[in-house]
Amino acid sequence: MATKDTRIELLQGTLDLLVLRTLAVGPAHGHSIAKAIQRGSDDVLQVEQGSLYPALHRLIKRGWIAFEDGTSENNRRAKVYRLTAKGRKQLSIETNRGERLAGAIARLLHPVSQE
Amino acid sequence: MWRRRRPLDGLDDDIEAHIQHETDDYISRGVAPEEAHRLARLAFGNVGIVKEDVRALWHRAWLGQLRQDVTFGVRLLRRTPLFTCAVVLSLALGIGANTAIFSLLHAVALRPLPVENPEGLWKVGDRYPYAAFRALAGDETVLASVAAASGVRLNVSIDGAPEPTVDGQLVSGNFFRLLGIRPVLGRAISPDDDRTPNAHPVVMLSHEYWASRFGREPSTLGRLITISGTPFTVIGVAPPGFFGIEVGTAPSLFVPILMQPTVVPVLGNPPRLITGQFRVLTRLRPGVTAAQATAALENRVHGWLEREMSGRANLSRFGDSVRAQLIGVNLWPELSPAATGFSNIRDEFSRPLLILMAGVGILLLIACANTSNLLLARAAARQSEFGTRQALGASRWRLTRQVLVESLVLAGLGGLVGVGLAHWATRFLVVFISRGQTPVVLDVAPDARALAFTAACAVITGVLFGVAPALRATGRRMVPKLRVPTSRSGTHLRLVPERLLAVSQIALSLVMLIGAALFVRGLMSLDGRGGGAAQREVIVARVEPAGSYSRRRPPETLVRIDREYKNLLERIHAMPGVRSASLAEYSPANPGGIYRRVTTPSGTEVQVHQPMVYPRYFSTLGIPFVEGRDFAPRDLEEHSPPVAVVNETFARLFFGRTSAVGQPCRVMATDSAMPCQIIGVVRDSPYADITGDVEATMYQPFLQTDTNRGMMVLHVRTSDDPRSVIPALRDALQHAHPTAPQFAIQTIADELDAVLVRQRLLATLGTVFSLLALLLAGVGLYGLFAFIVVRRTREIGLRLALGAGRPDIARMVIGEALTLVLVGVVLGSAGGVVLARLATLRVALLLPTVDARDPLAIAAAVVTLLTVAGIAAYLPARRAARIQPMDAVRANC
Repeated sequence: MATKDTRIELLQGTLDLLVLRTLAVGPAHGHSIAKAIQRGSDDVLQVEQGSLYPALHRLIKRGWIAFEDGTSENNRRAKVYRLTAKGRKQLSIETNRGERLAGAIARLLHPVSQE
Repeated sequence: MWRRRRPLDGLDDDIEAHIQHETDDYISRGVAPEEAHRLARLAFGNVGIVKEDVRALWHRAWLGQLRQDVTFGVRLLRRTPLFTCAVVLSLALGIGANTAIFSLLHAVALRPLPVENPEGLWKVGDRYPYAAFRALAGDETVLASVAAASGVRLNVSIDGAPEPTVDGQLVSGNFFRLLGIRPVLGRAISPDDDRTPNAHPVVMLSHEYWASRFGREPSTLGRLITISGTPFTVIGVAPPGFFGIEVGTAPSLFVPILMQPTVVPVLGNPPRLITGQFRVLTRLRPGVTAAQATAALENRVHGWLEREMSGRANLSRFGDSVRAQLIGVNLWPELSPAATGFSNIRDEFSRPLLILMAGVGILLLIACANTSNLLLARAAARQSEFGTRQALGASRWRLTRQVLVESLVLAGLGGLVGVGLAHWATRFLVVFISRGQTPVVLDVAPDARALAFTAACAVITGVLFGVAPALRATGRRMVPKLRVPTSRSGTHLRLVPERLLAVSQIALSLVMLIGAALFVRGLMSLDGRGGGAAQREVIVARVEPAGSYSRRRPPETLVRIDREYKNLLERIHAMPGVRSASLAEYSPANPGGIYRRVTTPSGTEVQVHQPMVYPRYFSTLGIPFVEGRDFAPRDLEEHSPPVAVVNETFARLFFGRTSAVGQPCRVMATDSAMPCQIIGVVRDSPYADITGDVEATMYQPFLQTDTNRGMMVLHVRTSDDPRSVIPALRDALQHAHPTAPQFAIQTIADELDAVLVRQRLLATLGTVFSLLALLLAGVGLYGLFAFIVVRRTREIGLRLALGAGRPDIARMVIGEALTLVLVGVVLGSAGGVVLARLATLRVALLLPTVDARDPLAIAAAVVTLLTVAGIAAYLPARRAARIQPMDAVRANC
């Protein structure tokens, strides 16, 4: 497990993007989304799980995800979130942008030694 | 908005499910359940903050904070119940008084008629003669429709038994249609009932009359009601709340105008003649402006006028333009908006009510100043709390907002209680202004406008007195406040804004007191003009025999009426409890009578007041004879020589020291000059003109004057309680004139109540409000100096320990307080006098005998104020003098 030092604090927008990415695979409960983000980043990105919920509600407000009342695996009432068409479109736009940004940062950090 | 709610539902469940899930994960990895739960919660983070963040996302941020502020504020207020009660009560008085007066003003002057589209109604002139109305009604070009109405008193009997006289309205055929009023039962009076004079004996009931007299029986439709001896059929009932177009009245019956000759027998009109003045209402054709309509109607009316007069009157003396001529004869068809209908009450009470509104406005300001001072004091005490919060990052605006919200909560509470007070007060006021006359009927139920006014009052009040404390509490000097307060020297506690507020409170209270004192003095002087004991012993009642008011009247009618009067007087003289009775043209409280030119032997020609009376008038009223004799029955024979009785003023003016008795005069009548001989001189009547000066008066017997009017007022002097005689009088009048309406039978004192009601209103309410204002100012002064004394406890204790005497301490405090009071008194006196002078021109018509610089009134006001202020200053001084030095040194302020 990564130590506290190696955890990187995520920006809000990035978190929203990760949620969208997670839901692109299919609808999920809040807990599953949190776990997916954690696993997917090899525990590097440790999100305080609570901060997921403001992100989810932001996305609902924007209309990029939708929700339904459902039952979780341990028979508790919880919302199930899914991507909307609008959200899918936003995801592709953001993915491109994110990739370009990541690429730019990488190039800055490790300049190709040319000169 | 409902859509947004759903995401928030179940948030708690979502979070719980999440944490439980995480817990299960840990458990499945072998962690003990309790530890698993703890780790899960740790991983989740602060649940409370998450929930708050999500909620804040959906609500606007400020809404949540507002709820916070309100809750906090309410809790704070509950912790200091005495303070809260005092503030809420003083605010309630201020807001309540304002609401009450405004409600009355609104009901009298601002409320639109309860009809369809009142904004589209126009009135033509003030009152219009019937014939002119008919000329207008024919116009189809600019007027969509024209209706007329006028109030009448109706003599009613049902199934042979006489009923109490009711107020009614004569209405034209399209009256109800114009107003858009649909009956709840039967049909309304329609143009079909407006075709032939005297041929439509139908009547509509008001809803109130139908409920009270007929118990809302549907079978009332078709019943016969006898009006002035003729049976009328009930054809319909008006909807509830409809009272016609005269605000302040509540007619019980609606009758077609063309039935006027039947139901108004006093006119004595031939059956096809409609006379009199009417209120005229109209709606304009779409696209026509009032100015256009007026211009078009002018020509129509002028044309009608010329045909009517056919050269008899010289209109050109008023000018050349049609408009000028019409204005000259009072027939200019001026159109003015009639959304609020007509109202005598409005004309009489608008000005007094506006004066009272100014007064209660000042009262509210004083209440605000009081509250502000109290809150300022409290804000100073909370500076350490606010200092801490600001140090921890709260913005000044946020804290200011919180204090403002607290103030608004106080104001809101004050407003609620105030509305309750106003409700009761308004009803009381309506009863008050109804004294001595037909009860005034006003719809004082609060409507949107009145409630909006109250709400605005409360909000403005809250902001006014909340701003200063808010700013004070969040003042910049926050860090020093956190230290333990050290001793302060007395002069450091300057409290300038509080002192200014206290001074202004004193000044404003004094202004109000002076105003009230002036009104009271004025009322006292008017009251004193009446005839003393006679007021309560003499009963008056109007009598209107058939045909007694008519333009062209054959002499036989006059003789007949005279005979009826003589019979009536005989019958009344025979009644038990009656000392003497007579008839006169008017009652003391409502002077009337004509003025005629009279030529004295010396050749002087003057205009003189000439009322008609019967014998024994003077003795009935208690007016003594200076010389000569009263009219005797022989002076009332048809061909007896004309005689007259004059008052002192007349005798003095025209005959000086010589005796007026025996002197001949000539009275200019319409066609000729009539010689008459003076047979007696009486003292000036104390009632002659209750609000004016005494004038030269010549009394003549009924048959000898040449006048249109034959209606008289019965005067009866009783030996017992007047109330015991009234029923017998009523019977006698009913018997004498079975088809004439009856008028109120009351004592002169009661009548005077009605005449002086405005002055009484101003004097009573003025006194109440100004005393309230003074009380508030006194409480404010006391509060301020009590606070000062508390803050300076250490200093005072030190002074005492160092040898100062207790009286010195007390003197110090009182001295400071009285300085403020004196400044306030000076400002207030100056302000009061200036205001009274400015207002004199307007007030003069209400109180002609009052001088704005009346020293007695000002002295009374100042003395009252100094008394209350003295007490307010003395109490804290006493407390200061009682301070024990040891307690003071230990005090930690």
